[in-house]
Amino acid sequence: MSKSNKASLLALKNLPHDFVRVTGSPVALWQRPRILYDGTGARRKIRGGALLIANHTGFFDPVYMMLAVPYRRQFFIVSEEVMDKPLGTLLRACRCIRIDRQNPNLATFREIIARLKSGEVISMFPEGHINRDAAGSFQSGMVLMAVRSGVPIVPMYIKPKQKPSDRLTVVLGERVSVTELYGDRPTFAQIDAATRLLYEREAKLAELLRD
Amino acid sequence: MLMTRQEIFDKLKKLLVAADSGNLAITENCTEQSRLREDFGMNSVNILYMVIAIEEAFGIVFDDVGVNAFATVGEAIDYIERKLR
Repeated sequence: MSKSNKASLLALKNLPHDFVRVTGSPVALWQRPRILYDGTGARRKIRGGALLIANHTGFFDPVYMMLAVPYRRQFFIVSEEVMDKPLGTLLRACRCIRIDRQNPNLATFREIIARLKSGEVISMFPEGHINRDAAGSFQSGMVLMAVRSGVPIVPMYIKPKQKPSDRLTVVLGERVSVTELYGDRPTFAQIDAATRLLYEREAKLAELLRD
Repeated sequence: MLMTRQEIFDKLKKLLVAADSGNLAITENCTEQSRLREDFGMNSVNILYMVIAIEEAFGIVFDDVGVNAFATVGEAIDYIERKLR
């Protein structure tokens, strides 16, 4: 472990997030997470910066993402809809980054890139909203974030629960490096192609968990 | 040496063509009045990408603006002109 990682273990700024992680950890006893991996590459631990993406079927999906990758602190990209409520201040302290979906601004984007470059894991829901049906279309913002920071995208599928007592089941897929596929100056068409590729990967993961 | 408005336009057009060479609205009919979303079919991510490309190509740094700050090519050029001055 590098010196900077050691320092961040005790950093004050992580306190609210770590408090939530520690006090919330008994949730695992109830959820009994079953974490599956699609391929040997997916089984490798996530080291360094990464963009974790998942389908979004419910309010607790961020908790499930934390349970699926418990060994990493994650930042979450949260919509203006949630962050502009009083709860937003608390969420901000717990590593949530506000994004205005209608009018994304440069400051948000720069913050995300800087965090990814500094080796953080950022989790997001590329559909942009809660969608209880099959995964809708993905927004391409994640591709741009991955390209600009050079980090891989880790697709993850959270199996929607039929009832709250159901066991949490998630599957993690192989990492996708957009810069390896299209370089660091992709065209608009390539950004769309990468978005479609990730959508297909996500659909493949969903297929694995179909009963 | 300051760039003229036409030079900025040409450079910006080159960036847009590099990003979306198959788009006839950009390659053939690009004017200062062209609307980024309606005429070029760009979405917010495309505009964000364009802004980053502009920053690199022109060596300027944008303030914290939202992507909706630029509706037309002309507005983007206005902004670049102000920053270069």
